[in-house]
Amino acid sequence: MLRKDQNDLLTQAGPATPMGRLFRTSWIPALLPEELPENDCPPVRVKLLSERLIAFRDSGGRYGLMDEFCAHRGVSLWFGRNEDCGLRCPYHGWKYDVTGQCIDMPSEPDGSNFARKVKLKSYPLVERGGVLWTYMGPRDQQPPLPEWEFATVPASHSFMSKRFQECNWLQAMEGGIDSSHVSFLHRGDLNTDPLFKGARGNQYNLNDARPVFEVVDSPGGLYIGARRNAENGHYYWRITQWVMPSFTLIPPRGNHSIHGHFWIPVDDEHCWTWSFDYHPTRALTDAEVAAMRAGKGIHAKTMPGTYLPVANKDNDYLMDRAAQKAGKTYSGVEGFAMQDASLQESMGPIVDRTKETLVSTDSGIIMARQRLLRAVKALVETGATPPGVDTAHQRVRSASIVLPPDQPYKDGAREALMAQPGVAPASV
Amino acid sequence: MSSAAEARFRIAESQPTGRVVKVVRLERVSDADLKDVATADLVVMVTSAGADAHAAAAIGEVCSRRRITIATVVVRGAAATDELLSKTLAQVRPWSLMVVVAGDESYLDDLVKSFR
Repeated sequence: MLRKDQNDLLTQAGPATPMGRLFRTSWIPALLPEELPENDCPPVRVKLLSERLIAFRDSGGRYGLMDEFCAHRGVSLWFGRNEDCGLRCPYHGWKYDVTGQCIDMPSEPDGSNFARKVKLKSYPLVERGGVLWTYMGPRDQQPPLPEWEFATVPASHSFMSKRFQECNWLQAMEGGIDSSHVSFLHRGDLNTDPLFKGARGNQYNLNDARPVFEVVDSPGGLYIGARRNAENGHYYWRITQWVMPSFTLIPPRGNHSIHGHFWIPVDDEHCWTWSFDYHPTRALTDAEVAAMRAGKGIHAKTMPGTYLPVANKDNDYLMDRAAQKAGKTYSGVEGFAMQDASLQESMGPIVDRTKETLVSTDSGIIMARQRLLRAVKALVETGATPPGVDTAHQRVRSASIVLPPDQPYKDGAREALMAQPGVAPASV
Repeated sequence: MSSAAEARFRIAESQPTGRVVKVVRLERVSDADLKDVATADLVVMVTSAGADAHAAAAIGEVCSRRRITIATVVVRGAAATDELLSKTLAQVRPWSLMVVVAGDESYLDDLVKSFR
């Protein structure tokens, strides 16, 4: 359990909150490039960390992310005209460039300098590895661009999707580091999903349904190891990476791609679930990409033109009791992504952690909360840079590996847990 | 729907579990500890990388017979070598459902408080 004050501290990420400050120390995913597909395309409303913003791409291809509302009378710039290197408010014609600087104020007399004194709050928006990233912290503390491995491989090697999730970021993220739920909630899909099936490691999963967990501090967060019995007394380890505050990397299976998530607060009661797949040494096949687009693996089928899942709270996630009864799915909900999201959303927008009853297999979640609480405290009290900001903490991999029984996996898989360009992942 | 609205009709009371959690330091296990753990719902074994953790087996036998879950915290000090950690893990792994290898002991208090 967490005390209410601790729960509030970790779940509130708006401006001027401690956790909000922590999220504002890193580059975070803001949009997919497909949302701003061409110069002078329509602007896009974006809510991040409880701030309402507008994103646009100007005539020169530069990306902008700034306060959604015109400085004049507070009109949403979503109605704006994106033209001639700026976004113009349709109400009275005030125009802003990608930095939020007002560059035209037609209502003022010719030669007036007043426009130069008007500037909307804005944030950098940079394309890297199939994501538009933003940094919402103080300009003078802007870190180097992110170096997550999926963002550094050739475009043909990776795939990224996002979906809207109707709950706080923390309970969604905690689902990502809760390895013990896989044996239950996802058991129906391991051998059928095209992005998971066929790996030798799946057999270890199915033969040993009671894994033992080891959680180990890592420089950027935690390694979460799930251990199962393999041949000759060896152990099959699946090692998940969690890097603060909300990045997870799931262990690969066979020659399938590595996948993972970011959970980014929209506001305190909603988040964006970003889901990616990549392979360090090969392009994803057409069949794999088609499956990802169709909502297989960790991705979700979304309504065309939106990032809202087709299966959602309003339609009971298309619950299929017959499939549940037949064991085709364990919960009756189809697909890894919505199996997770449906249960996380059912906990309520912000789960009351004073009422939970944790058990020993929740130690990864407990450790993650404590690391977050410590990092927030250190940031607020001493300005200490949180783990995860250093790009060295981002150059990591998850791994699935067979090791001798007495070997600490952190050491046995030391190289496998680091991103190594051109080197295939450790995967069974 | 906001959190407050969503929570409006949820049952407000949280039921006390009455769970008994025993923390045992493996370097100084006594006969009293062995009796104590037999009445627990959850046993947390605590040791350091390289410390003598052979008592894990005695605790483990008692808990195994009574189907009591064991979680273990191994504190890995900065000076602990891989070899020392290996030795300790080999002693505690057979008995533990969950092992946490932490950089310092300060997690222990938080961990135990989380198991209310």
